[in-house]
Amino acid sequence: METTENNKNNQTFLSLRHLVKVYPNGEKAVYDFNLEIAKNEFIVIVGPSGCGKSTTLRMVAGLEDITDGDIYLGDELLNYKPCKDRHMAIVFQSYALYPQMNVFQNIAFPLTINKYPAPVVNETLLSCAQLSGLIERLGVVKIAEAFKTVNETKSKFGNVSEDLAVLLDVEYCTAKLLVKLYNSLNGETKTAVESNAEQIAAEWNEKLAETAQTEQAKLNAENVKLNEKFHVLNGDGTEKSETRKLTRYEIKTKVYETADKLDLTPYLDKLPKELSGGQMQRVALGRAIIKDVPIFLMDEPLSNLDAKLRLTMRSEIVKLHNRINATTIYVTHDQIEAMTMASRIVVMSRGFVQQIGTPEDIYNNPSNVFVARFIGSPSMNLFEMDYDLSKNAFTYGGFDIPAHKSFKTAYQKFYAEKCGIFEEINANFDLAAREQILKILSVLGTSKVKTQTAKKGNIITRTADFFKNLFKKKDKEEVDVWLKEKTIAKEKLEELRLRGSGVNKLFIGIRPERLEVEKVVSGKNYDGCLVIEPTLTELLGGEYNVHFEFCGRNMIGKLAAKHKLSAGDKIAVRFSADDLYVFDPVTGDTIK
Amino acid sequence: MRSVNTKKRLTKSQITARREKIVSFIVLAIAAFLFVFPLIYMLGTSFKSELDLQTHPEKIFPTPGQWTLKHYTGFFITASGELDNMPKWMFNSIWSTAATVGLTLLTDLIVAYVVVFLRWKGKKVFMKLLFAWMAAPTVIGTAPGLMIFQTVKNALGANTSAGTYMLVYFWLVVPGITGVFNVILMNNFFRTIPVDIIESAKSDGASHFKIFTKIVCPLAKSTMMVIVLFTFAASWNNLQGPQLLMAGEGQAIQTITVALAESYGGSSAWGAQGVSMATAVFSLIPVLIIFIFTQNKMIEGLASTGVKG
Repeated sequence: METTENNKNNQTFLSLRHLVKVYPNGEKAVYDFNLEIAKNEFIVIVGPSGCGKSTTLRMVAGLEDITDGDIYLGDELLNYKPCKDRHMAIVFQSYALYPQMNVFQNIAFPLTINKYPAPVVNETLLSCAQLSGLIERLGVVKIAEAFKTVNETKSKFGNVSEDLAVLLDVEYCTAKLLVKLYNSLNGETKTAVESNAEQIAAEWNEKLAETAQTEQAKLNAENVKLNEKFHVLNGDGTEKSETRKLTRYEIKTKVYETADKLDLTPYLDKLPKELSGGQMQRVALGRAIIKDVPIFLMDEPLSNLDAKLRLTMRSEIVKLHNRINATTIYVTHDQIEAMTMASRIVVMSRGFVQQIGTPEDIYNNPSNVFVARFIGSPSMNLFEMDYDLSKNAFTYGGFDIPAHKSFKTAYQKFYAEKCGIFEEINANFDLAAREQILKILSVLGTSKVKTQTAKKGNIITRTADFFKNLFKKKDKEEVDVWLKEKTIAKEKLEELRLRGSGVNKLFIGIRPERLEVEKVVSGKNYDGCLVIEPTLTELLGGEYNVHFEFCGRNMIGKLAAKHKLSAGDKIAVRFSADDLYVFDPVTGDTIK
Repeated sequence: MRSVNTKKRLTKSQITARREKIVSFIVLAIAAFLFVFPLIYMLGTSFKSELDLQTHPEKIFPTPGQWTLKHYTGFFITASGELDNMPKWMFNSIWSTAATVGLTLLTDLIVAYVVVFLRWKGKKVFMKLLFAWMAAPTVIGTAPGLMIFQTVKNALGANTSAGTYMLVYFWLVVPGITGVFNVILMNNFFRTIPVDIIESAKSDGASHFKIFTKIVCPLAKSTMMVIVLFTFAASWNNLQGPQLLMAGEGQAIQTITVALAESYGGSSAWGAQGVSMATAVFSLIPVLIIFIFTQNKMIEGLASTGVKG
């Protein structure tokens, strides 16, 4: 029972259900976004600019209102929570550091303004007990030496008590008490601690016992009970808790800890404008991790960095993610970042989720032509080929490339299914149907259909429009608005119906990495290969990107650079039918 | 004809640049002299003895050996041992100006914050109204303002001197904080603050109050300085408003500007001239202090708000 519950919790740590965003100007930025995020996942939302990925992230963060849909963290509905209560930390592309604060203040900012729950501690008794333990354990001489080192070395915290607390590994209140005791020694004893060690220890112990006794008496009189850690107890024996601001010492230790993690300690007293881009990015990360929240949201955090730094920061972020066991949602337009960092990728285009899957899955099995084109560098080669259903083969210029046996059935099944869907769309053209059409357009990347936003003209045309609309029937206008989508739906259905038989054009895709490119050497037989002169070769160091023409399209292949290509050299290209991706040109979906 | 010249020959552009520099220096020097001359004359005259005042009004500075501090000495205690009006005027001016400046800053910051960082309906209309109000000449409000003032005064029956004093200064300070220009200045500056910073603070858990006090206000320091200087100058030099409000009231109620204006018009005795010059010098001191403290930040502030000098 418990394990299944755990499993369930693991599966749905953060769940985004049917998220929709419509901006006040009527533009729909995100359509029906669904994602279940497990704990410790690194989700990357990737897509071209303006595809709604940042909007989605901002909805999760609470910076943008949610038009429709729900966000759950565990079982908790987050929709109406302000962003500070969502247990999330955001890293922005612009770093969003506070320019007037130095690095320390920037990192400490979340701690300084929030209150945190903490047990109520009786500091007097705690410090007395800890200090007498310390005297017993180390002896007065060692303690005096600690004072010496603290005074001599350049102070890290700028405060003797704070330095001592770190050095001797005791609570701040203990260190404060120790400083008080030490300063009450007169000058002569201070210089000759060793000879007077026993005397001082006895004196201090006596003082401590006295203080502890009076405090205990006071507590007894007030009827306050403590446990063995000197936490104040409630009447029923549980620890009493309070929400309070962190003390300066607590903030300092936390900031130094975070700065150490990110190698920022030398820059703590610098202003953001004195830092380099990478350092600023690390400060922004530091400010996020110091909040100690389970979820990190990153909005293109590396886009402002130069290429080399981006590479190192990329691995830094992944390492950080693993080290602090965070759950991260990362937004980027860079598919390389998505491939290298993600445990799962969400590909978006024009507000629609195109595919969700692991990097391997997205790369190897793209669900449609948009994903295939977007993921991979250089991007997938796409060209048109005729498919002859009766022969079950692709034809190109008299060549027949036999398709896999199962392809014919897959092809027929695919189009039967799509015809069914489109008949339904045409029969009942509602909002959902319209969105399906829009999604298909987003896949194919054809011109965007204007959404029904009110035209903004000058005041005269607007008044004229107002009066015109006054005498117009409202429902007629609504039909007009969808007219374009309706015609598209009809056209698509007709096209799909035609594909049931005969020879049809299909989109064929192949990754440049899967093209077998060879330099043509005289005297060798290149049967079954395409022998062609490249239009352009780009040397990347280890390999060439070879551009050549095929089916009227520019194609890219890769060739190891050990064979030097010079002008006039020919290449032979060959590929295996298994590596081909076949896409339906009508809907853009993969046929398999 | 060419002499051997050890100096480096200047290129044509350098010569032009030098010539431009000289010309602009001369022009600026003349302009500066025209601005400063009355002030220098004022300063010099305030040290002149009575004899000098009568015989040498054309001289800027007193005759050597005739310098006197006489006109300044009577400022605090009159000959009869009473508190002079001068400290009262200064006090009135200083506290009313300080109150105006402080309240202006506060309202401007709050209004600009609300306009820039909060989302509410009618924001654009509100801003347009502000701009429209800026176009209206301030004189328009004078007559209705005075009428309302009289009505309120009569209604309250504030005829005691203390009552009148409070009402007059309330009437001076409160309308003084409504300068639209300052709001727009601050508004322009706030727009330059990246929204990311505000959003990041929000996600860090900051309330609007915290964002306002810890992030926005510290950033707005230089713009605040500009507003301080503008408001201070306007309020300190304000003559027409106080003059109308204080007409017919006792001397003690006056601000220093009103008192100065009256002292010129009043007695024509030669000694009074010296005193009024000295009073004017005295009234300049706060302005100088404020300028010294704000000038550095001011240029930065003007640059960041998009207002070009």
